[in-house]
Amino acid sequence: MKLTLPPRVGPQSFDAALKAFAGVVGAGWVMSSDADRDAYADAYAPGSPERWPASAAVAPASVEEVRAIVRIANEYKVPLWPVARGKNLGYGTAAPRMAGSVVLDLGRMNRILELDPKLAYAVVEPGVGFFDLHDEVERQKAPLWLSVPGNGWGSVIGNALEHGIGYTPYGLHARNLCGIEAVLPDGDLLRTGMGAMKDNPAWHLFPMNYGPTWDLAFSQSNLGVVTKAGLWMQPAPETSLELTWDIPEEEDIGWVIDTVTPLKIAGVIDQNVFIPSWLGKIVVLGTRKDFWDKPTAMPEWRVKELLKQYQLGYWRVSIRLYGDESVNKAKAEVIKAAFKRHLAAPAMEVWWRQGDPKPPLDLALGTPSAVPLQMSDWVGGRGAHLGFSPVVPATSEHVMGQLKRSRKIIADHDVDFYASFTIGGRFANNVNMLMYDRDNAAQVDNMKKLFNALITETAKAGYGEYRTHLGWMDRVMDTFDFNDHALRRFGEKVKDALDPNGIIAPGKQGIWPSAYRALQKEGAE
Amino acid sequence: MSRFLIALALLAPIPAMAAAPGGVPELPPYQMRAAQPAGDRLQPGRDPKAVFEHSCGYCHLAGGMGSNLLTKQMMMMKRPPSDGLLANRRDLTADYVKAVVRGGKGAMPAQTRVDLTDAELNAVAAYLAQKPGPKGGKK
Repeated sequence: MKLTLPPRVGPQSFDAALKAFAGVVGAGWVMSSDADRDAYADAYAPGSPERWPASAAVAPASVEEVRAIVRIANEYKVPLWPVARGKNLGYGTAAPRMAGSVVLDLGRMNRILELDPKLAYAVVEPGVGFFDLHDEVERQKAPLWLSVPGNGWGSVIGNALEHGIGYTPYGLHARNLCGIEAVLPDGDLLRTGMGAMKDNPAWHLFPMNYGPTWDLAFSQSNLGVVTKAGLWMQPAPETSLELTWDIPEEEDIGWVIDTVTPLKIAGVIDQNVFIPSWLGKIVVLGTRKDFWDKPTAMPEWRVKELLKQYQLGYWRVSIRLYGDESVNKAKAEVIKAAFKRHLAAPAMEVWWRQGDPKPPLDLALGTPSAVPLQMSDWVGGRGAHLGFSPVVPATSEHVMGQLKRSRKIIADHDVDFYASFTIGGRFANNVNMLMYDRDNAAQVDNMKKLFNALITETAKAGYGEYRTHLGWMDRVMDTFDFNDHALRRFGEKVKDALDPNGIIAPGKQGIWPSAYRALQKEGAE
Repeated sequence: MSRFLIALALLAPIPAMAAAPGGVPELPPYQMRAAQPAGDRLQPGRDPKAVFEHSCGYCHLAGGMGSNLLTKQMMMMKRPPSDGLLANRRDLTADYVKAVVRGGKGAMPAQTRVDLTDAELNAVAAYLAQKPGPKGGKK
């Protein structure tokens, strides 16, 4: 990828900044060739990855190096785009929102600093991936489990800071963060919570500050660079029981939600309950042409044929219980009775007990995997995906409304329908997966139009997204419109106060520093 | 919600799925990766097998995403499913490995020099390419 300089930075000044970075991290960890810029591009970019080009990347190995880089960036007015491991696939990978930003790649900061089985927490640096933490837990035989997202290739901290979600009782990953260390935009260093006191042993145990609590102000944020964090982990349970039902009809999602939500809120169900539609089960079995060889969306009659052929319901619900066997048995009876009121078919029941091997690829047992990314093979070619992910109240009324609205818009754009709902408590995350071939310009163009239509119509109905791709960060921020966009105005005020040069992640989540606010429309879809 | 969660679909057995067109052979248990070898990652002489496991093993050990997709491709080409594992391949060249790692291929994104340094890539590329073909000599 050709070089795009940061705004208002000349070639000599840019070169001097890179040399200064190299003075901190060593020349081998400043990456500025065309090939490097390609490697930091958005691997799943809808259209050209050159729409969100990095100018270079720099990879520090310690918090002191991060502080030095941030100070140099201020000196040369070179904006930084921090990434933990840069595997935010589907949302922009490692690419920056603003063209010419230097990626601050924290992948070398990959130490597991603490692993405490007694109080069930870890302290990790941003470069620690889910696989790394999992393998270290196994090596130490620590009685702890992870909560993993679909893509375990990524960073534990990065995923939590991006509000990623997993499928265990610890599935709301941002909530597991407790006590962080962050380099501020002027190079200062902050520790939150009890960590604000030197050597306080409760740093990663008590989740609030004395005074305002800032931990999550550093999530989906451009207010600092998180360099370490405490992470609460699940104590390994004695047993786990999985109850699975195939749910026959599309409309059945209503009663499923109204059955699961109260059990989740009451604590009978601890985990985040993931409910994928039929395509989620087909997509890993082959490529699209194996099932439907036309470019048009798969018609209803073909869907019905496939469900019959593969003995699938329209939806699948798997509820996993964790803990002592007697407790799990009692909870299972409550859940089965609730389902029986709507569905005659019994649950498929699978027990896991301490000492049993974990079934491969079971994300709800905390085993990391990148296999779900296989879905990019579905459309053929250089497959990729975008996810449209609004949050709705976890009731049948809201879920059915959302389902029908997005289903119609997706059908109007002649795209296959693949949705999931994950019940995280009082809310459900609806992910509509839109898969496309990166090299098919017409398909990419259609996806962008579809994505815009989904954002607009869903916002009109009163709902917003919880996370989105670089190209839509501003459009989604626009939908948060209470009191003339008070959220964005507040974010901008804080940003300008803490980061007058706008050095850290300009444009992240639609928050632009005044230094670059005029560039907001560039790279926005 | 993570939008990659599709694989949950794999978790519970569905009898008819074995007959699916792209059906992957039975999934092996989770495989631990080697720890990242100590020492300067920019210098030559990295332990190639450990680097391969650590940095490529997310996807290219048994049961990984890359192994699954390659297994499917190999079977479609009438080659043995075991060729889906890069460590079993006899037809790779060092230059090809380097090109794929830095350029990406299909579902695989390009790897940065933090993912795999040039010294590490040189070691891994030589390691994957060194195995002789069935009749001896490199293929």
